[in-house]
Amino acid sequence: MVGLPGQGMHVRLDALSLLFLCILGPQVLASAVAGMRGSVTFWVFVLGMVLALAAGDAFTLIFGFELMSAASWLLVLQGDQKPAAFYITIAVFSAVCLIPAVFLPAGSVAFVLIVLGTGAKAGLAPLHSWLPKAHPAPPAGVSAVMSGGMVKVALYVLIRYAFMVLAPAAQPWWGVVLIVAGIASVVIGALRAMLEVEMKTMLACSTVEHVGLIAVGLGIALRAKAMGDPALAALGLQAALLCAVAHALFKPLLFLGAGEVKHAVGTTSLNWLGGLMRGQPRLGGLMLLGAAGMAALPLGPGFAPEFLLLHAVIGAAATGGILARIGFTAALAALGLGAALALGAAVRLIGIGFLGRPRSLHAAAAEDGRRGPLIGMALLAGLMLPVALLPSLVLAALVPVVRLLAPQAQLQALAYAPLPLVLLAFIIAAAAGFVLQRWGVRGTREVAAWNGGFGRAPAWLPFGDPATQPSATGFAEPVARAIARGVLGRDATDPAELYLMDPLRLLHLRGVRVAERIRRATIRERLAFVFAALVLFLLALGLAEGG
Amino acid sequence: MLNFPLVFVLRLVATLLHAALVFAVAPLLLGVVTKCRAWALGRRGPPFLQPYHHLYKCLRKSALVPETATELFAVWPVAVFLATGVAVLLVPGFCTGLLTAPLSDFITLIGLFAIARAAAMLGGLETGFGFGGAAAGREALFSVFAEAALLVVLLGFVLLAHSATVDGISVAFATGHIGISVSLGFALAALLAVALTETGRIPTDNPAGHLELAMVHEAMMLEYSGRFLLLLDYAAMLRLLLWMDLTGTIFLPFGMARADDILSWPGGLLLWVVKLGAMAAVLALFEVSTAKMRVFRVPEFLGAAMLLGILAGVFLFVAARIGS
Repeated sequence: MVGLPGQGMHVRLDALSLLFLCILGPQVLASAVAGMRGSVTFWVFVLGMVLALAAGDAFTLIFGFELMSAASWLLVLQGDQKPAAFYITIAVFSAVCLIPAVFLPAGSVAFVLIVLGTGAKAGLAPLHSWLPKAHPAPPAGVSAVMSGGMVKVALYVLIRYAFMVLAPAAQPWWGVVLIVAGIASVVIGALRAMLEVEMKTMLACSTVEHVGLIAVGLGIALRAKAMGDPALAALGLQAALLCAVAHALFKPLLFLGAGEVKHAVGTTSLNWLGGLMRGQPRLGGLMLLGAAGMAALPLGPGFAPEFLLLHAVIGAAATGGILARIGFTAALAALGLGAALALGAAVRLIGIGFLGRPRSLHAAAAEDGRRGPLIGMALLAGLMLPVALLPSLVLAALVPVVRLLAPQAQLQALAYAPLPLVLLAFIIAAAAGFVLQRWGVRGTREVAAWNGGFGRAPAWLPFGDPATQPSATGFAEPVARAIARGVLGRDATDPAELYLMDPLRLLHLRGVRVAERIRRATIRERLAFVFAALVLFLLALGLAEGG
Repeated sequence: MLNFPLVFVLRLVATLLHAALVFAVAPLLLGVVTKCRAWALGRRGPPFLQPYHHLYKCLRKSALVPETATELFAVWPVAVFLATGVAVLLVPGFCTGLLTAPLSDFITLIGLFAIARAAAMLGGLETGFGFGGAAAGREALFSVFAEAALLVVLLGFVLLAHSATVDGISVAFATGHIGISVSLGFALAALLAVALTETGRIPTDNPAGHLELAMVHEAMMLEYSGRFLLLLDYAAMLRLLLWMDLTGTIFLPFGMARADDILSWPGGLLLWVVKLGAMAAVLALFEVSTAKMRVFRVPEFLGAAMLLGILAGVFLFVAARIGS
């Protein structure tokens, strides 16, 4: 029997584990269909995640979690060596925090360690800077499950401990920690998603943003629960869980699509793509659906969680002390900023990558995606439909989980109803279509683009001059100039890199130098050191005796 | 007390009347603004009905599709039009209590604006030429601050009205004893700044401009013609009406009719027309008295709006603190 002596390993399923297993299922299936089914490491990775989710005791949880970390490290290593070292460092840090935390008695120390351990694994600011490097490295199927699944497993551990295991010792400031980290993740993630040129890196940055959104929801719920506000706790939990469900559908879809772009064009750099919708209509259509989810547009899967979250923040700002209320007002502004930036990033993904003119011959010659990945993506897109159009049903399915996490929670009906909006849009479309059909001139004529009166491109440039088309960098330039250089610093470096990782690296370098210096000491230096130590010791002894 | 079916029928009729009115009046409103603007500048200006002629002209022209556009070229104008059309149905015009009232949550409205904006930006990127792409990038920048400002302004409304739907806010402001407060002044200024940006008016964008380099909203639809241009231009007119309705229904809710009280409708309709006319005149006067600002001044303008919105919230918190 494996496990702690005399205890063994236990598997126990409750509503929370089931929910996260349901979140994990579709994306694993989609990745397997998309071509990962032959990889043993991938299945070990999945096994680790399932074990962590279904664990009935702390040892099993840690065992599954670390199995997941180790397997995903191997997968990252297969893709790219460079981020793998950084990745394993963070994974070890996460383990160092988590392993003592799960065996500590319930209290603030355990909570802080849990947040550090799971936050490092989920990509919560300021421990997120590895994520945009490591997630894009492995093949698309693995990136998809890492971004959509592994992050959720870390959040699952956070939820389980913050809301259930450590619940007796819960303090309101625990929630504040999560909210602050979440807001920082939202702003940094969304801003970097707007600026990154590599499609997969951009998607990984967007994952940081969504983890931030989930953390804000959880933080509000945790704080409200500790302060005895059951309605707000329910709202925050609903927002966080629904966001986790929606993100687990559209982000793997986008990652799988990015993999197909890589396969067809040979690069995922937006600056070399363009016009892919022509050669890859099916892939482009699916990516458009995913991007609508990422941008949290109404009638997409991402809007209902955003809606709930904004209402939760407004609700939190409506009560409590004045400092907290001002803080929540600022958080609301930051969330608005993040939402608009996420929209810009999604528009940039579709508009630069799939619309417009090709920026390279490879992009012009791209063929539609292969069957496996397209089926996987279609599966996820099909599952997005109920989340997008019937969010109330999904929320009803989440009720047992919310009740489990906050037994006193008061649930309210969702005030956002997509179907009536669809009905209104349909009526308007029917009326407009009638007018256009009855009185309008039908048919279209294909002509050279007007382009403000500029002349046609010469014949040897069939797609026009590529340099006259805005690039991904150019599209993001206004945002970079007005916001990013203020928030992120020059060259749009991540603040976590600048203020946390770089000093740590410097410290590490100095430590290594000192160690190296000691290792290289000559025999005379070593003898002198021993002699000096002896003299000092005797001196101290003598002084102590004399005194 | 009226019985339920009658109330429902009245609300249905009011909703249909509202829909018919907004779609019919939107071009005229633009005509009034343009005319007032011309008058203020000492010119005669185009006739009031000019926007209708323009729309009819677009209807009767065949649509040109650039050869570098993809199959989705026709999708974006439809998306812009539908999102704006649905949004304009949600915002109360001459009366409150429409059938669409429960849907009119402010955040849903912000989401519908986001759909329209995303579709317009994608339309700008569609053909892959410089002007559309540059304008889309600028629009992305403007939207960042506009959305944040709108959300903090909404917070102030929710605190005062205890409702997040536009309809509920309007009813609360019309009937409750809100009074005139500093917070509402700040919120009004912030909302107007966002409204000017969203509708593409001076000082953030010039609807009458002819220089593609300086355009934002117009440059994104540069390649559209015929019925596609019709949809985009009509959506722009609807958006102007929508923002005037929104401003009017929140800040000038006096005299608004109730959907289930048919006797109040004529007064509500009359006041609605008067309010729209007054707002059009104010907009025209404001436009002739200010200059368009540089693109990179706009984030400062909207950032100030956002700060005003936050200040409105803070003042409300302080007031609640003192009051309790």
